[in-house]
Amino acid sequence: MGLDIAQTLIDGLMVGGLYATVALGITLVFGLVGILNFAHGQSVMLGAYVTFFGVQAGLGFWLSAALAVLAMAAFGAILEQLVFRRTLGDHMAGLAVSLGLIMVIENLAAATFSPDPRFVDPPVSGSIMVGPLQLSSQRLLVLAISTALIGGFYLFLQRATLGKAIRAMAQNRQGAALVGVRVSLVSRTIFTIGSALAGAAGALYASLFAVTPYMGNTPLTKGFILAALGGLGSVPGAIAAGFLLGIAESFGSRYLSASFRDGYGFILLILALLFLPTGLFGAGKARV
Amino acid sequence: MTDMPDLATASVPPAKAPTAWRGWLGSLAGRRTLLAVLGIAALAVLLAVPATASSRYIVYLGTLLALHGVLAVSLNIIMGFAGQFALAHAAFYGLGAYTSAILIRDFDLSFWASLPPTAAAAALLAAAIGYPSLRFTGGIHFALITFAFGELIRLVTANWHDLTGGPQGMQLGFSPEPLLGIDFGSTRGIYALAAGLLVISLAIAAAIRFSRFGRSLVAIREDEVLASSLGINVTANKMAAFVITSVLAALAGTIYGPFVGFISPEMMSASDSISVVGMLIVGGLGTLAGPIFGTLIFMGLPELLRVAKLYRLVILGLIIIAVVLFAPKGVAGVIDRLIRPKRGGAR
Repeated sequence: MGLDIAQTLIDGLMVGGLYATVALGITLVFGLVGILNFAHGQSVMLGAYVTFFGVQAGLGFWLSAALAVLAMAAFGAILEQLVFRRTLGDHMAGLAVSLGLIMVIENLAAATFSPDPRFVDPPVSGSIMVGPLQLSSQRLLVLAISTALIGGFYLFLQRATLGKAIRAMAQNRQGAALVGVRVSLVSRTIFTIGSALAGAAGALYASLFAVTPYMGNTPLTKGFILAALGGLGSVPGAIAAGFLLGIAESFGSRYLSASFRDGYGFILLILALLFLPTGLFGAGKARV
Repeated sequence: MTDMPDLATASVPPAKAPTAWRGWLGSLAGRRTLLAVLGIAALAVLLAVPATASSRYIVYLGTLLALHGVLAVSLNIIMGFAGQFALAHAAFYGLGAYTSAILIRDFDLSFWASLPPTAAAAALLAAAIGYPSLRFTGGIHFALITFAFGELIRLVTANWHDLTGGPQGMQLGFSPEPLLGIDFGSTRGIYALAAGLLVISLAIAAAIRFSRFGRSLVAIREDEVLASSLGINVTANKMAAFVITSVLAALAGTIYGPFVGFISPEMMSASDSISVVGMLIVGGLGTLAGPIFGTLIFMGLPELLRVAKLYRLVILGLIIIAVVLFAPKGVAGVIDRLIRPKRGGAR
């Protein structure tokens, strides 16, 4: 019994890392630029396709994943330049535009790549035994990569000059502009980083699940649940919520019912909104 | 379709009209009236053409337009009046179709008897997701939760094989029974039903718009904090609007079932919810005529363009983006601006 619980817990952690990576991108863009980017899931999907085609072309998983991150970074910068720059400061217009983007990107992808599911061979296979626990090597690798990404990003926010500029802008856009932060440059950077994170998440998704043009909505839904669960705009909250959701889903499908796997996060979110309205750490004072 | 040129020509003359006519227009507080007249004209075309046409295709298209019209008009109550992004509209549409179909199949209810429990189920669910998320100001939580809820309903429907038939969907063998001597079972009967629901939805939307409740919603849309300081119960008003919106969508779903004879989780997809939002944005949020314009453009344009479904969704997505960026008040706003009496000076 105890062993079973430990196994379920670790399975949950491994998926949770992936969720946290997606949620981080959403939280970053929402918390710092104030735009709820519904097209974030499409960046995950495109990242997964870049990885798939890279592996097809014989580049190997690692190079393809790096390519996906770069491609999605460029994609994010282009979107910011073409579309989101014009809706800064208007949450609802930003939201509406990103809804339009979903339709454009998803259906262009379906027309170009065909709706058939594609599969990417994971870079490692099999599983390793740690004591009595059986751990899938690929999921362990995903956990390691997502932890590294999250940790590295957190350090960047805390230590790097650009990271500090980002946090300053999140606190007070005008104040940041007054002390010499180039607000437009910083927003473009945030979009680029957020989209690059989505590209990384897409590469990791591709190594675990089927790649289809419609795959973007699931990570997006999870990312949204996490962003709200963690307190909108709170980076540590989103990360913690990611792992929490992975664990909740893992326990829910192990002990309750696997068909409703995707429902557990939603129930968690409703409970959190009722009883923890400011998010897990009480830090995310709901930004209007 | 036939109404497109109507719309275009009707909006042009006032722009070129002599000033005297403009003055008359202004003195009548006419631009509102004219916008309403245009909306009613569009509605009349939408209702009259299928009712008199002999082609089955026109009747089919008319039913589809009327059902989508109901979706747009009802979504406008929470989104246009109260300013809250509800992204689960297609889910409630599907929920209505499934609930009524399951009630009819498993409990031997008549079509008409299945309507009240279906409406009650939709109201209950809307309240259950509305209460936790609408307590927050700003609408972001609400947008997040309704989007997640829509996906959740679709996944549950696809996974609950015993009840819903899973991803393959359900074949429906029933049609609405005759009522008051009118045969609602035929193609034309179902069209009458859909058109009737559209008129009822419009009447409800208009009644809300000009009531104290509607003015409260608009106050909430403009400034939630200010509205609450005026003694408006913000959460309760938003919830009431969301419940009405969702019940109307579910009722439209109950008609969709016997209309097509087949329902599947596909009809609840996020992109369908987004399409309805797109209709509103393109037509003009918060106006009574906007949802009707939006439905005609959104459903009519691809029908005219005759392109593959994937590309028509791409085009509609581009239209949404263009309208938000360049004409934020939608078609109703553009018409409004064209017929607005110029008040001296540059604008």
